[in-house]
Amino acid sequence: MKASQYLLDSGLRVGNGVAADPVLVFAVKAAIVVLGLTLAAAFLTWAERKVAGRIQLRYGPNRVGPYGLFQPIADVLKLLFKENLAPATRDKLLFLVGPSLAVGTAILAFAVIPLSAVNHGIGAGYDLHWDISHLNIGLLFILAVTSLGAYSIFLGGWSANSKYSLLGGLRSTAQLISYEMAVSFSLIGVVILTGSLDLEKIVTQQNHAWFVVMQPLAFLLYFTGALAETNRAPFDLPEAEQELVAGYHTEYSSLRFGLYFLGEYVNVITVCAIATTLFLGGWLPIVPFLSFIPGVLWFIGKVAVLILVVMWIRWTLPRLRYDRLMSLGWKVLLPLGLLNIVITGAVVAFQAA
Amino acid sequence: MTALIIVVGILAVVGAVGVVLSTQPLYSALSLVFSIGMLAILYLILNAQLLFAVQLIVYAGAVMVLFVFIIALLNPKAEDRPILDVRAVVAFVAVITITAALFATAHNGITYSGSNFRGAVVGASHNDQDPAYTKHAFDFKPADVNSGQAGNVQTVGGQLFTVFLLPFEITSLLLLVAAIGAVYLTRRVPKTEVDT
Repeated sequence: MKASQYLLDSGLRVGNGVAADPVLVFAVKAAIVVLGLTLAAAFLTWAERKVAGRIQLRYGPNRVGPYGLFQPIADVLKLLFKENLAPATRDKLLFLVGPSLAVGTAILAFAVIPLSAVNHGIGAGYDLHWDISHLNIGLLFILAVTSLGAYSIFLGGWSANSKYSLLGGLRSTAQLISYEMAVSFSLIGVVILTGSLDLEKIVTQQNHAWFVVMQPLAFLLYFTGALAETNRAPFDLPEAEQELVAGYHTEYSSLRFGLYFLGEYVNVITVCAIATTLFLGGWLPIVPFLSFIPGVLWFIGKVAVLILVVMWIRWTLPRLRYDRLMSLGWKVLLPLGLLNIVITGAVVAFQAA
Repeated sequence: MTALIIVVGILAVVGAVGVVLSTQPLYSALSLVFSIGMLAILYLILNAQLLFAVQLIVYAGAVMVLFVFIIALLNPKAEDRPILDVRAVVAFVAVITITAALFATAHNGITYSGSNFRGAVVGASHNDQDPAYTKHAFDFKPADVNSGQAGNVQTVGGQLFTVFLLPFEITSLLLLVAAIGAVYLTRRVPKTEVDT
């Protein structure tokens, strides 16, 4: 048995009787997701500038192509042809590892998110799962991979050997550690309700009501915490312009800077996709009679709305002060998360009794 | 599959060696992260998915991030390379002996009996009906690994909250004590007027 085949057959696949993806299907799925995420991230930069423009009563990019739609292409070309400047005193290996990890971990988390319902019995009894890898512990996998994202920002900040970068890196590490707890706790409520860590099962159990109805507090906690984990305003202390120039990526230029940029936007997509999957019913339609619209479109639509909210928040709220950020994470989000777990657990236990 | 295990295992060892041989503390810590990641992949191959996730979330994602954080905060200088002296030779011989002993034990198999306390747990993945089940660590087959439920969330959670409830609760108490101790040690000492 080939090693890759084995990984598909048993290592990553669980659930007895689930037919494994052939390596080719696996590769095609992975390619689609990676390309799709990269493209989406590129056009999110356009969307963000448009949203920012509208909020600040101006047009935003409108020169390249209709409505400035080709602006991302121009931006990418510019980044490609820029000179790749790097400080002479940098740590050569880690300076490269940082940006690569930023994109890698961001995309990897997307591997277990189901985009649509399973298509049963395509071909010889083969089930098509709409995720790259159907993991039994999908939720834990996401938490594990996103927790590794802390290294990318930290290594970038440390290896540049610059004070601003280092401060940005340290801030982001502290921030990510603090908010990871709150984010994980907010998800436990959903796990208690479904009794499963399998993202597909979590979505199908929202058939009658989305979990945002049953877990409104958890949704708010997750969204706040996840926003902090993406390092975006109002939680963008690791790159606060007024204080740290550009924080952890001050010394990066050209494509390496582009990778951090890409990582940030893919992270935003991933965070919104997780929120959609866990709280907004994933691929399920809002009302049953709209179910003729394919699940993927529902999923993408919901994610898009959430991303719009994320951008909206960025351009309307001022940045938090650092100590306020920490006390929000530890003294507000974390206790509320615990409260949510206790209440959910009690309700589930009483209903079972 | 065996090839994959060997490759990942070798990478884990390379990471572990890097921890010892790096002169820069940060590189040592990052080698440890790498080694932990490779161990996590080994767990995944052995179908212990929960262990895989816990290994990454707790060790790579939380503990080691704090290590790295502190190293960057204190910014210690690069250390000298360890010198080869009598202690190093003694340690080397001891490590080789223990490793060889472990390999021998794993290869010869360990006998579990049905009433054995550990057998009840480990046996979850094996044939625990057999009163004296001899397990060779090196000759598992894919079917063996597939049928194993030992590493999944339900099994671990069930064991943790039934068989091992008391040790589990005591451990949590221990952590609480450690947390209170840490808070006490790092508290701000109020200024006294005695030491003028």
